[in-house]
Amino acid sequence: MAAIPTDVFFASIPELNQRLVAKEFKAEELARAFALRLADLGPRYNALALPLHQEALRQGKAVDQDLKIDRRRGPLQGIPFGVKDLLSFAGQPTAWGAKPYAGQVFDYNATVVDQLFGVGAILTGKLAMVELAGGGGYRMASASVSGPGLNPWDRSRWSGGSSSGSAAAVAAGLVTFSIGSETSGSIITPASYCGVTALRPTYGLVSRHGAMALSWTLDKLGPFARSAEECGLILHVIAGADSKDPGSANTSFYYTPSYARPFKDLKVGYAAVDFADRAEEPARAAFQAALIALKESGVTLVETRLPQFPYGPILSTILAGEQASVFEPLIASGKVDQLSDKAQIAGLKASLELPAKDYLKAMRLRSLIQQDFRQLFTQVDVLLAPGRPGPATPIDQPLDQGGFQPAAGTPPGLQGIIQAGNLAGLPALVLPCGFAGNLPVALQLVGAPLSENLLLAIGRDFQKRTDWHKRRPPPL
Amino acid sequence: MKLTRRELAAALAVTAIPPAAAQTEQRDEMQIARERLKSNSDQLAQQQVPMAIEPAFHFTA
Repeated sequence: MAAIPTDVFFASIPELNQRLVAKEFKAEELARAFALRLADLGPRYNALALPLHQEALRQGKAVDQDLKIDRRRGPLQGIPFGVKDLLSFAGQPTAWGAKPYAGQVFDYNATVVDQLFGVGAILTGKLAMVELAGGGGYRMASASVSGPGLNPWDRSRWSGGSSSGSAAAVAAGLVTFSIGSETSGSIITPASYCGVTALRPTYGLVSRHGAMALSWTLDKLGPFARSAEECGLILHVIAGADSKDPGSANTSFYYTPSYARPFKDLKVGYAAVDFADRAEEPARAAFQAALIALKESGVTLVETRLPQFPYGPILSTILAGEQASVFEPLIASGKVDQLSDKAQIAGLKASLELPAKDYLKAMRLRSLIQQDFRQLFTQVDVLLAPGRPGPATPIDQPLDQGGFQPAAGTPPGLQGIIQAGNLAGLPALVLPCGFAGNLPVALQLVGAPLSENLLLAIGRDFQKRTDWHKRRPPPL
Repeated sequence: MKLTRRELAAALAVTAIPPAAAQTEQRDEMQIARERLKSNSDQLAQQQVPMAIEPAFHFTA
C-alpha cells in the first residue's frame, strides 16, 4: 500500500485526479486517508456530523476498478468530499444538525449526492451544521447538536454558519471539497470566516431534492473548495434541471470560464466605503490590497448603490412564513424545545403568528427588488463587497450583540447585499483575499442570474495573481 | 439516604426553580421574537407597492 503524503490533503481537485490517474496512489487509499483524517480531526473543530469510512472505502474500490479499465468520469473521479448534514444519504442518519431529528434516516439520496457519485466522487462523511440551518434565528454559535463550529485558523473563533462543517472541513484539509447550503448567508459567512472559496449558485440552478427545506423560495445548495476553478468543476456536475425539485430553473450549466467577456469591458459595481469605514479596522489593509489586485485584471470599478429596500425585514418575513409552515409539526409536537438555542426556539414558535398579509407584502416587494436588480445589471456586470466586514467572531460572542458598528453617519455602501442577493436569487462567489491578524477575510462577487461563468472567470483570474486561497491553517 | 419530610420538601422546592426560570426566560425570548416580527411588519407597512405587483412566486400546473 502506498503511503499518502500529507500534501494531498490540501491538493486541488485537478492535481489529485491527475495523481490518481498516474497511479501514484489508489482511490481506496486516498479515501481511507481522508476518511481517517476527517474522523480524527473533524470532531476537534466540531465539523463532523457522521463519518462514512466503510462507504468511502467501497466507493474507492469502485473507482479503482474504473481506472483499471480506463473508464474516466471527469476531474472529480476519486476525489473525497463531504456534505452538509441537511442532505440525505440513503440508509444513514440525517439529523439536520438538530437533536429532535437525531436518528432520522431517509431511503433515498439527495440529487446532488447521486450526481457526485455518478462522476466517481467519494463521500467520506457528513458535515456539521447549525441546527435546522438556523431557522428561527439563533443567537449563539453553539446552536448545533455538534457544538459550536470552531474555526481552523483559531479555535477560539467561530467557523461561521450555518454551513459550519462544510467550510471548516475544506479549510482544514479534511475533505477536498464539500457541499453546503444558503438561505441567507450560510455559504457566504462560513466561507469568508474560514478562508475558503465557495459559490452560492443562482436560485434553482442546483437541485435541492433530498435537502432539508427551510425556505422553499430562498434555499440554494453550493460548493466549497480551495479555488474558483474547483467550484466551477463541481458546479458543472451538480447544476441542471431536476423534475424532483419544484424550484428547479430547468437549465443546464457548462463550466466555460475561458469564454468570459474581456475583463477590460467589465464594470464592477462597488462602494469604496465598504472596504474602509464600513470594514473592521484590522481587515481594511487586506481589503484595500484586494481591490488593487482586482483592478490589475483590467476591470473598471465604479461606485454603485443598491436599490433602496429594507432587505433584512423583507427576508426575515419571508423566512418566517416559510419556516413556520415547514416546521409546524416540530413546533406543534413540542419537540422544538429540544433545540439548543433559546432564541431559535422562540423564533420558530413566534413565526406561527406571522400575518399572511406580511408574507405576501414581502413577496410582492421581492418582485420589485428583482426588477430593480435587473436594471442595476444593465449598468454594471457584477457587484463587489467584502464577504463579511471583518474576520470570524469569538466563539462565545452572541451573534446579535457586540458586532462591529461603523461610525454614525457612515454611508450605507452595499449594506444588505447578502439579503438582497438571496431575495433576488443571485449567484455569489466568495474569494479569500487576505488576513486580519491570523484570521482570513474575503471578497464576495455577486452577479446577475445565471452569470456563474463570469463570476468564476473573475475569481480564477484573481486567484492567478494572489495566493490567499492556498494558505493553510496551523496544524492541530 | 433518609430524608425528613421537611428536607424532602426543601429539596423538591430547589429542583422546581430551574423549570420556572426556564419558562420566564422562554417568555422573554418569545417577547423578543414577537417584537422582531412586529418591527419587520412596521417596516414593510411603510413600503408602497403598486396593486399590479404580484408576489414573487409562481405556480405552474
